[in-house]
Amino acid sequence: MAEAWIEEMKRVFYIAEKDVKIYFFKGPNLTFGLLLPVVLYVAFSIGRTVESAFVIPGLVAMAAFFGAGAIQAVSLPLERRTGTFKMLLTAPTSLSTIIFGKTLAGFFFGTFLSVVYTLIMLPFSPLPNLLPFFLAILVSSLMFSVFGLLLSVPFQDIPDAMPPATVVRIAMVFICGVFTPIETMPASLQTVAYALPLTYSVDALRQAMSGSLNNQMFLIDLAVQIFYSFVFLFATIKLLKKTIE
Amino acid sequence: MPSESAIKVSELTKCYGKLLAVDHINLTVNKGEIFGFLGPNGAGKTTTINMLTGVTKPTSGTAFISGFDVKHEPIKAKELVGVVPEVSFLYDEMTAWDNINFSAKLHSVPKKKRAALARELLRLFRLYDRRNDRVGAFSGGMKKRLMIATALMHEPEILFLDEPTTGLDVQSAMQIRDLIKELNEKGTTVFLTTHYIEEADQLCQRIAIINRGKIITVDTPEELKNTVKKENIIEVSFDHAGDIVDELKELSEVRDVVIAGDKFRLYVEDPAETLPSLVHFAEKKRLKVTSVSTLKPTLEDAFVKLTGLRPELMTLEKENTKPS
Repeated sequence: MAEAWIEEMKRVFYIAEKDVKIYFFKGPNLTFGLLLPVVLYVAFSIGRTVESAFVIPGLVAMAAFFGAGAIQAVSLPLERRTGTFKMLLTAPTSLSTIIFGKTLAGFFFGTFLSVVYTLIMLPFSPLPNLLPFFLAILVSSLMFSVFGLLLSVPFQDIPDAMPPATVVRIAMVFICGVFTPIETMPASLQTVAYALPLTYSVDALRQAMSGSLNNQMFLIDLAVQIFYSFVFLFATIKLLKKTIE
Repeated sequence: MPSESAIKVSELTKCYGKLLAVDHINLTVNKGEIFGFLGPNGAGKTTTINMLTGVTKPTSGTAFISGFDVKHEPIKAKELVGVVPEVSFLYDEMTAWDNINFSAKLHSVPKKKRAALARELLRLFRLYDRRNDRVGAFSGGMKKRLMIATALMHEPEILFLDEPTTGLDVQSAMQIRDLIKELNEKGTTVFLTTHYIEEADQLCQRIAIINRGKIITVDTPEELKNTVKKENIIEVSFDHAGDIVDELKELSEVRDVVIAGDKFRLYVEDPAETLPSLVHFAEKKRLKVTSVSTLKPTLEDAFVKLTGLRPELMTLEKENTKPS
């Protein structure tokens, strides 16, 4: 039993390793994952006075959000279009293992981009509380990786998968307090914001950078993100199972 | 649970919405045989393979791979099979070496054995010198050979080959057929789908003919030919014929007429009775008979009789839908 479980864990890693090798440096990943957060940041900050301690955590959250999501909008649709998904499906493993492997690849990419952004932004921002900040990056990357996978399930090709996923993500960026504090929004938008996962990622990172970390709020932010991760994971497996049945 | 049969399928059915792709099929494949699954494009061959190999779930019915239920014990069933789909499942961005090793890792082939086996198979399939090249640069024949090598990395008991020679040049197709024979001689059970009747005749110990999701018959190639043995065939060609099929059908004792290239095949009860009327017909139409002969029934004739399909139509359909 334990041996079978170890073998499954190995397969998760092999699938993630393969995705990293193949999809990390695909054009759409770099465009949507690396550049889009910068473009959005520049577009928002031109002509405004922006407080770095407020915006930088949002930018790091966006890096995890767009990075982890971008690789998923590429890998799953491309595998299904080109036929390589059959190699995974005919292997002696479950669909859940395949999904975990792909999630892990997105998690790596989201984490990698967030750390890169953090290092670039470090000279312009207050020093974050490192451990909670890194923990928040890890949890956010995990959640956004599964969210990206869920958004890509209905599509069989990159050009079909990218635009709707990007529209959803950009809309979320403007609602979830990345650039504008949620408290300043109308009540109805605030309700929407608190229902969306990005809000909790931004809040966790902001708290970790604020210097006055509210442990309870921080843990709630992480717990909500973990809860969302499970919901997205469950929905992805269910939906994907349905498409191959 | 050990089983005498390699594959046992009972009332297996697959529906896509209202479309019945595979319709309550039953078949048994014995261990160590090459079993052919012959039928036109869209007959349900690939869907059947997909159900047997875990790519898709059956709507109803049961299927066992060496005694393991594909629905309830899919992982155990998949451990025993190697799959070569019609369309490449290889990662174009990866090298041949990485592809074959990735598949082996998924099948839990131990690390030490993995490298030795990969070398052996790549040499056997004459791809060792290209092992560090990206698969995207490979020809169709090379990809097919690599797919077979990849499917053999975990030494499967049963090998599923979906249209293994479609789209290949004559030489590559011959090489693949020889490899299938070699693998079978070493004990591998082969489940082969094809729309090439001659290929099925050459390779398979038994053949199932499938059309519109239903199995029409399962038998040895020789027994299938016997189903049309009572029929005799006159093959005739004229110097300038035009469209005379309907007129030929009206000659005495002629049951059917099939065009085979520039020749007409007349399915008759007794050639001795038909030949005089054929000569008279030619004279009347001012046609010169350039060749005439009687033929033994072939598997193609059996296929035509059993399915009502023209074999050349089957090939045309497949070539037209060949993936780019």
